[in-house]
Amino acid sequence: MDKILKEGEVSRLVERLLSQYQVFGPKRKGTGHVFDEIKSGSEIDLAYITTILPPKKYLLPQREKILSFDPSKGIIPERLEMQRKQLIFGIHSCDLNAFLLLDKVFIDKYPLPSYVERRRNTVTVALTCTEVDDACFCSSMGTGPSPDRGYDVLLTWLGDRYLAEAGSAEGEKILDLIEGRGAGQDDYKAKLKVIENTKKKFKKKINTEGLTEIIKENLEHKIWDELGELCLACAQCVMSCPTCYCFEVRDTLRLNLKEGFRFKEWDSCLLLEFAEVALGGNFRSSRAARIRQFIGHNLGWGGASQYEDLDGRFKCVGCGRCIRVCPVHIDLTDVASRLRGEVVAASI
Amino acid sequence: MQHPYEPTPARIDRIVELRRDVKTYTLSLLYSEGQALQPIKPGQFIMISVPGIGEAAFSVSSWNREGGTFDTTIRRVGRLTSYLDGLSIGDEVWVRGPYGRGWPLEESEGKDILLIAGGIGLAPLRPVISYIAHNRERYGLLEILYGAKVPDELIFIEEYDAWRSIKDTILRLTVDMVPKGVVWEYNVGLVPILIEDVGIRPEGSQVMVCGPEIMMHFVVKALISRGFGEDQIHLSLERRMRCGVGQCGHCQIGPKYVCRDGPVFPYSEIMGLPDLNI
Repeated sequence: MDKILKEGEVSRLVERLLSQYQVFGPKRKGTGHVFDEIKSGSEIDLAYITTILPPKKYLLPQREKILSFDPSKGIIPERLEMQRKQLIFGIHSCDLNAFLLLDKVFIDKYPLPSYVERRRNTVTVALTCTEVDDACFCSSMGTGPSPDRGYDVLLTWLGDRYLAEAGSAEGEKILDLIEGRGAGQDDYKAKLKVIENTKKKFKKKINTEGLTEIIKENLEHKIWDELGELCLACAQCVMSCPTCYCFEVRDTLRLNLKEGFRFKEWDSCLLLEFAEVALGGNFRSSRAARIRQFIGHNLGWGGASQYEDLDGRFKCVGCGRCIRVCPVHIDLTDVASRLRGEVVAASI
Repeated sequence: MQHPYEPTPARIDRIVELRRDVKTYTLSLLYSEGQALQPIKPGQFIMISVPGIGEAAFSVSSWNREGGTFDTTIRRVGRLTSYLDGLSIGDEVWVRGPYGRGWPLEESEGKDILLIAGGIGLAPLRPVISYIAHNRERYGLLEILYGAKVPDELIFIEEYDAWRSIKDTILRLTVDMVPKGVVWEYNVGLVPILIEDVGIRPEGSQVMVCGPEIMMHFVVKALISRGFGEDQIHLSLERRMRCGVGQCGHCQIGPKYVCRDGPVFPYSEIMGLPDLNI
């Protein structure tokens, strides 16, 4: 049964969850927030807008061993077995929708065992956004400010209380830990109002109508060269993106040069080596081609174009992180407007 | 759950040096009992690696179903291939695959087949020639256009006579240039020039092309100007690959993953995609 929580009860709920799960949640760090392990209920700060890195890191660690090798034992594939489930508390709708896209890449056809194991053992307590910043635009992407699927529990702050809704059997069990009263019609109505209010706060918008086609038709638009001149190819946009999943595979050897391991680690299409092949060939040697790949994949040919059952959703979930971190203020929503032929006031 | 990137050790049974920097390696997979080499379709690729050195995608130049072995023809161009070049019979490498979509051999039955290759690009087309030779009655005319920079860089030379003796088969050769003192009795010029003499008509035919992208660009242009349809021209693409199963992202061309959706594509499927110079 959906429940009502008083403000102070959130940390008590987290305390209870700590006995069952390894809990990760938003914590204050410097002037911003990060997702980090929560050791006590008071550490969590739900009054956050975004985090530096998305919680993707709990499904796809930056670096992960694939296998070890040893001449005496041969190939030893890495088998992840999680002893405890992990629970991501306070995940926003954009980041939760990102999980749904990653599921398509790493579960559907060739399941990646470590991803499957992590995903199977990941519980989400999502949080409806009540505040946004200048870079947020999930409402334009259909991925927020409140998720309609994919969560175990959804919390929505109604101004003086939280509405806690279950989205799965596991979520029902979590709600059983809450002593508060059951939710009523007024609470659901209040939730809709909260969502409407949040939607009014978005300053950044993007018109997604026909966007895939517009990008396809504008592959030779001069904007890509302009962006190529601006872009530093620092790849911060990719590293902070909740849906960027590309990785490199490398081997490393111990000093005996016989034993070692093979690992995968985050890679970025913005980096020069990404599309390099033998004999110095490179299919995306220009920065213009590389930023076109990043923006094209996010707003053009990624998401539902690659995975049909994504309901027309894009790879981009509108979290705004790439906009916040870009040292030269490249903003993919402005790029989309420019491609539509609209005049944009920003630096590009 | 089998890890999609988990390789199987393979032993090098045979090494044939085709030219200074190209060797054909015959590999037999050292499976544990009960496992067997998966069928390899012409045009599919495999991932070969050496622990500590790295992994890369290679085409299969022949598959011996009964013997449980396959051949891969590799040019020494980088770190891994230089390492492979130094290996001997009996040495082990790691293999996984096969992956991807191969040449459209079944859909091409009853049709004339035009094969066009440049340099090492003949390797993935070699199993097509063998397949047609073994199933000759299922196909129409076979015409093979092949070129390299210089005569020394042609591969599979010792097989040309056998190819020429396949019923209704023509082999046309060209080189970009002939160094002084080298005897060369065939055409001189870039591969697309050979298309001018092609006997196969666009009607009821299929074209399969593999070579450097710049060569494929001009080949496609020449074919289209002769009336071949965009869906009749099949191209095998090269891209950096790390996983082989549509996850690592390196081989993406727009919405396509070369590893999963290719490496063989009808031209009609990839026309107009970004970062493709064909």
